[in-house]
Amino acid sequence: MAQYRTQMRIIADVLSTAKEMNVEGNGVGITTLLRKGNMSYSRMTKLISELVGSGLLVELSGEKASRYMISEKGIRFLAAYRNFEDFAQSFGLRL
Amino acid sequence: MAAAGNVALIGDVLQFIGAFVSFSIAYVAYRGVRETQSSTLLRLATAFAFLGFGFLMEGLVGLGTVDLLPGIAALTTSFVIAGLFLETTGYFFLAFSHAVDVLLAKRLGLALLVFPMLTLTMGQLTDVLTILSFYFVLYGVVETLYAYARNRKPDTLLIAGGLAFIAAGTFLQWLSIIYPPVNVISLLQILSKEIGLMMLFIPVLQFSLGRKWNGTV
Repeated sequence: MAQYRTQMRIIADVLSTAKEMNVEGNGVGITTLLRKGNMSYSRMTKLISELVGSGLLVELSGEKASRYMISEKGIRFLAAYRNFEDFAQSFGLRL
Repeated sequence: MAAAGNVALIGDVLQFIGAFVSFSIAYVAYRGVRETQSSTLLRLATAFAFLGFGFLMEGLVGLGTVDLLPGIAALTTSFVIAGLFLETTGYFFLAFSHAVDVLLAKRLGLALLVFPMLTLTMGQLTDVLTILSFYFVLYGVVETLYAYARNRKPDTLLIAGGLAFIAAGTFLQWLSIIYPPVNVISLLQILSKEIGLMMLFIPVLQFSLGRKWNGTV
């Protein structure tokens, strides 16, 4: 059965992808985020602009297309999310 | 007579322990709200803050009735209703957190079937609040068990057990309204709630210690 993802879980998934796939240090492209994030292009671009606006992602302007990198604030958020996700799950709830 | 006084005093101490446990859970959840802006944690923090104030109020009432805080004795009825109201509100927020989770996941909550039974009418406000608390906690138990079936986390089962003890305590509280002179029921209901709250406290302890060990904050 497909698991429902909350908005916060989607944000955590995108940030997690931006962190883990950034092996060369030059950020990740939107295609990678789309593939791992499992969501539509329009929804992903809207989410990315929100995450960039709130300082969780950093936009790196490339020659062809923008690339994205998780910021320090994003790393802190991801760590907090993982800690409190476990806490909420203990109460049978989802963040 | 002296035994009844001792039972009441033990009951009061347990109420204050309940308040401490509830405020601890509320505090951890509130820290989560500050760090993640999660509305789920906000509802959890609100639920346990209300429960904490409810237990505190009921503990103060108890101290008034055993003459440790004579000033409160004159306001006992108001304090009892306020305490029960706060406690019921806490249980409501706990049930509400699960209801929101159910609605967001677009699945029908099995325990929502319990709600039509809320149409029961009772003469006294305290009785109604006690019954509402019982249904809210029962809803929490069913939803937490459902969550355990999904995630298979031992902590979730522990919380479900804790909520079941609290539900049993609330049910005994209901019985103590019907049979007021039975002190054993009063003590049992507080003990049952305390055991339940202690079980809820374990994940909080694990969380606090785990954070220190991991050094993730």
